Amino acid sequence: MVIIKTLIFAFLSTVGFSVLFTTPKDSIVKAGIVGSIGWGLYYISSLVLNNSIISTLIASISIGIVGELFAKYYKKPATVFIIPGIIPLVPGAGMYYTMLELVEKNYYAAVDMGTETFFLAAAISIGLIISTTLSTSIKRAKSKN
Amino acid sequence: MNSNKKLSKKEAKKLLLLATLAGRIMLRNGAETYRVEDTIERICKSRKEVKYANVFSTPTGIFVSIEFGEEVLSHIMRIKSTKIDLNKIDQVNQFSREFVNSQMSTEEGLKRLREIDKIEDYKPIIKYLAGGISCSFFSLLFQGGYREFLSSFFIGFIVTLIVGRLNKYKVTFFISNFIGAIIASVLSISISNIGFSQNINAMIIASIMPLVPGVAITNAMRDTISGDFVSGLSRAIEAIFSALAIAFGVGFVLNIYF
Repeated sequence: MVIIKTLIFAFLSTVGFSVLFTTPKDSIVKAGIVGSIGWGLYYISSLVLNNSIISTLIASISIGIVGELFAKYYKKPATVFIIPGIIPLVPGAGMYYTMLELVEKNYYAAVDMGTETFFLAAAISIGLIISTTLSTSIKRAKSKN
Repeated sequence: MNSNKKLSKKEAKKLLLLATLAGRIMLRNGAETYRVEDTIERICKSRKEVKYANVFSTPTGIFVSIEFGEEVLSHIMRIKSTKIDLNKIDQVNQFSREFVNSQMSTEEGLKRLREIDKIEDYKPIIKYLAGGISCSFFSLLFQGGYREFLSSFFIGFIVTLIVGRLNKYKVTFFISNFIGAIIASVLSISISNIGFSQNINAMIIASIMPLVPGVAITNAMRDTISGDFVSGLSRAIEAIFSALAIAFGVGFVLNIYF
């Protein structure tokens, strides 16, 4: 039940972001699906693994792959689906908590949070790198045949 | 225009202009560098009189040169403002596919591109509402209740409104993100002071989400992988600085409040 609720919330929030980035009208729902797949995987894997960095990595890889698949299927640029989908994963919370600890002069905790935030951003980047590289190498292999 | 007619020099020039215009629209609306270079090159090479076409593009400029007959024509375009409009990228993408696969005249192509450039964005009020919706549902993802939901909707609406207005006046992204983060945290703190909701964390986290540099991170990575290191680096710097601006804005307010 909680998972379904989470998926719906993630879907609607991604739809909001996709309107902010002027996604074409016929792709808004698809971008929302990409976002809810990503957040759903993030949510489930962070429950199972209890590690937000690995979960973010898994989620961003899946967003990249689903985005590329949608791009191929619907003949749109992949960024149309990936950009709105990736936004919920961006560690805004980490940035906020880092600042909060800094302001409260808990420097040790701030470094802790800041490092985690940095690694979350790195996990997003690595996930995107992996999925994009996968899709381009598959494309290349196909075009050779 | 029939398909056997040869391209005159004037038309070759127009083709070059058309290709650069297509690239400019894409780059200004937040496309990846390799897509811009690829599109321009495809458009130029689609006409068989053009033997050689080469493009170099960074997020702030496009350099194209083509070989036509005995001459080399080149064009440089500086790109200044950037915003995010995925619809236009998609439209130009479709246009270039059509242009390459047909014998569309350059005249008509230019006309089509100008039309694409003028396509209206979603109405501002819809964008502000979308900002509110995305913030409010995001607050629910961070364990907010219905009170946080309502207040994040309000804050998200105001933040996207003000940042949208600032971007219209071509304020640098650093300042607009900074101001947006300040407004988000001031409003969250004042709502909690009124006593409507006690969960400041969920409200602030949700309402800074429309500001976070998701586009810059995505494009930085995609550019770097495809070998455009200059673009990748400059976009990564943009991402880092927008994140810093948001953090400074939030920290500034929290520092005064606590």
